[in-house]
Amino acid sequence: MTEGSGIIDATGVTKSWGTTTVFSGLDVSVRSGVTGLLGSNGAGKTTLLGMVLGLHQPTSGHIQVLGENPSVAGPELRQRIGYSPEHHDLPQDMAAQDLVRHVAEVHGLPRRDATTRSSDALWLVGLGEERARPVGTMSTGQRQRVKLAQAIAHDPDLVLLDEPTDGLDPVQRDDMLELIRRIGTEYGIDIVLSSHLLEEVERIADNVVILAGGRTVAAGPIDELRAGGGGLTVDVTENVDAMVAELRRRGIEVAAERLRLRISSETLDSSELACAVRDAAVTTGTPIRRLTSVEQSLEDLFLENIGATS
Amino acid sequence: MTQTTEIYDRGYRAYTGPRGGMGTSMLSVFKASVQRALGLRRKFRFKIVPLATVFIAYVPALGFMTVAVLIPGEIAQEVVADYASYFGLVGIAVTLFTAFVAPELLSSDRRTGMFGLYMASPLQRPHYLLAKGGALLFCMSLVTMLPVFFLLIGYWAAGIGPEGFVTILGIAGRILATGLLLALMFTLIGMAGASLTKRTGFASAGIAMVLIASGVLSDTLANMDSLSESFALANILALPGDLAAVIFDETFERPFDIGRWQVVGAYVLVCTISAAITGWSYRRVEVTK
Repeated sequence: MTEGSGIIDATGVTKSWGTTTVFSGLDVSVRSGVTGLLGSNGAGKTTLLGMVLGLHQPTSGHIQVLGENPSVAGPELRQRIGYSPEHHDLPQDMAAQDLVRHVAEVHGLPRRDATTRSSDALWLVGLGEERARPVGTMSTGQRQRVKLAQAIAHDPDLVLLDEPTDGLDPVQRDDMLELIRRIGTEYGIDIVLSSHLLEEVERIADNVVILAGGRTVAAGPIDELRAGGGGLTVDVTENVDAMVAELRRRGIEVAAERLRLRISSETLDSSELACAVRDAAVTTGTPIRRLTSVEQSLEDLFLENIGATS
Repeated sequence: MTQTTEIYDRGYRAYTGPRGGMGTSMLSVFKASVQRALGLRRKFRFKIVPLATVFIAYVPALGFMTVAVLIPGEIAQEVVADYASYFGLVGIAVTLFTAFVAPELLSSDRRTGMFGLYMASPLQRPHYLLAKGGALLFCMSLVTMLPVFFLLIGYWAAGIGPEGFVTILGIAGRILATGLLLALMFTLIGMAGASLTKRTGFASAGIAMVLIASGVLSDTLANMDSLSESFALANILALPGDLAAVIFDETFERPFDIGRWQVVGAYVLVCTISAAITGWSYRRVEVTK
């Protein structure tokens, strides 16, 4: 995907609340699919979601969502977006179906369609049998599902989920993540999932955006990001010292452990690194038994980028 | 042996039907708010205030209509309330309704996060406030206007009401205008009070206290020899009666020297201040938390 054609594109966005600067030149392009929005508390995840909805204006810079400027086309854009907020407070005495139907109606659906779709959405999230129950009598897990149902009932193009697994036990969290993944992959709805739990983003997201210090410190497909900074592992059958010397001569960091070399570089990506290994092997006449890329965990990636920023 | 059929997956279907604009969104909020204000589809405890309000606003009207029917015309005319004074009686019911229902419509949306969900929809703050205000105005009109219309019909049926189509139309027009203006004022006061906090209890207590305090303080100040009797205009609870007297062109029932334009000015001031407080509060409300 070329730059500027993502579902969310932000360029040079700054945002200040009084004397507090949340973003100082945010550049990000969120692609289609399930995207995890990561950052420590106060990194600006919720503020970014607010800007995507057109509820907060950037102090400077530009943001485009689904090809529209949220500051200008806010109402039209929000009709195409579903939003599940972080809090669990919903009207206690309102039946789940009434709530979901009402939100669908507010998004422009006629009453009859809103009724049908709210029922379908509640079945989809596993609350079909519970749809007539007041929200106040539901568990936290069920309320999270009601929030998800109201976010998708009006058939949005993009769903924003703010901490959707907050307050859930491990089993409920697994179910919720499975559900979100299903919505993002099978139903063709793009999802931006804000979370501070790396493990859950790693499990279900295709892409990730990491915010820190008011900027995007890493963004892109998770597989590429994990492979990018991790380097390579090279197993050779002999000639270790010559190979190590040749690689170091090429400016590549090498750690040797018997016949296994772990190599990395701050300037080369994994494919360039693989080419360098190939050339070094040819130069030194070293037979290579196996070449594998070392994947970083999202946690390593997060800590590395947060560390670099601070 | 019977066979059972189970639905395993209803699937997900894209929606290709029509989508309404801002009007549809506002109408949905309006209808849901009217339902909430009147306690419809809610537990009995939420119906208590609407029922009490109906009782306070409508029962005296029924009483006066009964008197008009049972007692001979000339005596009845001495006993029953006229239209302008009935607006003063309705003030108690409206105060109760304002104090309890406005926070239920506005403060609770902020407490339960519904306001955030509304703002994440096509609605914007002014549309939201218009829809909520419209719902409150509609419900308030049921309290300020309808009982007096009943009174008009009752008096006419008992033979002590106005005679002639044009006269009846004129009185009906004044009832409509007074009822709407009072409903608007109490709607704006209720919205202002409710906009200041997300706690419905605090908002209800605050609104009731402001209304009662305005009555006690203003009358106390107006009764002091050294101060002007115009302080009586600050009595919000008495404004319905005063405004009705202005619209029906009758003398004020309160023993203060106040002018008709002063009453209009006080009405406009109360409405303006209330609207300004609501606008100011809602500009500051945070949405995405």
